[in-house]
Amino acid sequence: MEHHFLDQYSDRDSLIHRLDPRVKAITFFSLVLFVILTPAASFSAFGFYGALLIILIAFSKVPPIFVVRRSLVIIPFVVIVGLFMPFIKGGRSLGNYSLGAVDFSVTYEGVMLFWNIFIKAMLSCISLTVLTSTTRFVDLLKGFETMHLPKLLIMILSFMYRYIYVFIGELMSMRIAKESRSAGGGKRFHLKAIANMVGVFFIRAYERGERVYLAMCSRGFDGTVRTLNRLKLNARDIYFSFSVIALLITIRCFAK
Amino acid sequence: MHIPDGFLSPGVWSGLWVVSIAILGFCLRKVKAVLQDKMIPLMGVAAAFIFAVQMLNFPVAGATSGHLLGGVLAAILLGPYGGAIVIAIVLIIQCLIFQDGGLTALGANIFNMSFIGAMGGYLVYHTIRRAVKGDRGILVGASFAAWFSVVATSSICAVELALSGTSPLKIALPAMAGIHVLIGIGETIITVFVIGTVLKMRPDLIYKK
Repeated sequence: MEHHFLDQYSDRDSLIHRLDPRVKAITFFSLVLFVILTPAASFSAFGFYGALLIILIAFSKVPPIFVVRRSLVIIPFVVIVGLFMPFIKGGRSLGNYSLGAVDFSVTYEGVMLFWNIFIKAMLSCISLTVLTSTTRFVDLLKGFETMHLPKLLIMILSFMYRYIYVFIGELMSMRIAKESRSAGGGKRFHLKAIANMVGVFFIRAYERGERVYLAMCSRGFDGTVRTLNRLKLNARDIYFSFSVIALLITIRCFAK
Repeated sequence: MHIPDGFLSPGVWSGLWVVSIAILGFCLRKVKAVLQDKMIPLMGVAAAFIFAVQMLNFPVAGATSGHLLGGVLAAILLGPYGGAIVIAIVLIIQCLIFQDGGLTALGANIFNMSFIGAMGGYLVYHTIRRAVKGDRGILVGASFAAWFSVVATSSICAVELALSGTSPLKIALPAMAGIHVLIGIGETIITVFVIGTVLKMRPDLIYKK
């Protein structure tokens, strides 16, 4: 079973990959924050944010098509929440249309509301995609740890990360087994089959966790994970972070 | 639903971040006080389990499908505090790795799913379990709690969207709650079956206070 949804491109080598994970996280989180706090009507600002992201993607050597595909995850939400806004929201009318017996009008405020959630969700999503596809998850966690996030949280996250691959592989093979044995059948039948499968899966997962834990204890695990790689900030990291954040401030102040 | 970035107004998302950090900190302290070392790897296992299970979709009415939230399931197995932490961790991973739910909206998503969903659901479960004795109490409690958690989570989400001025309450609330009344049935069935299996095979895993 292949798992290419995590760390698919994070082992490549590029300018962005080589940056310190903490600096990278702070830079991309600031990018998200700037995008979110920019008023919807500053069209050129969003254009510049987009251009900045395109430059970063080009440097990162992550295939642009992958980033675009990842960012499509927001589309269902934008459609469900935002699509009707131009027609429902009251305000300045942009035009009236009639479709058979139904008359509706499009308002400026409604269109702006739709634009607002669409562009912000899209750009934020792309920023996070670039961050996580250029950083190994283990390094990101290590970075968070040195930034003093609660240790318990980091530990659970790192255990979870190590189990995810095993579990998804196991669950998917259970699902293939279920589907190859249960062609046809009603909705209720399938729901029951899934539920039983999940129950058995939980027991298996939990008992594996217990076994692994005992194995860890007998090898001297005392609640702390020790790793060899130590994070070190160098001048390049600082330059990168400063120049991106300076660009963001410039865009925010001058682009209308 | 995982709220993406841009859907909430700055006041709403920053407020919910503060609330979520406070409650998460409280949960972490509670869990540290009660649990032994053993629970750390097992909470990691539970988070990975919930994460994997959320990838299974089940059919709801029409063409829509839902997936397990798992909040009540986690809370029944790990207790309200442990359950809330596990769900919060799943949400953090989904936000960072899959961009499922935004970064600024993460506080709101944690508030909705791990506090309203898992801890609120656990409160319902706990109340029913006190009233109905034995294994039946656990199953009946789990079923009501699971359904409640899904409907309550989606309603809160609609309220947040309305407070942010993204969608009017009178449209968002009935629409969100309406769909999730159905999705909640799927959640109930799966939660009850999983708890039933655990009761049969490893009854010691059910959280007892």
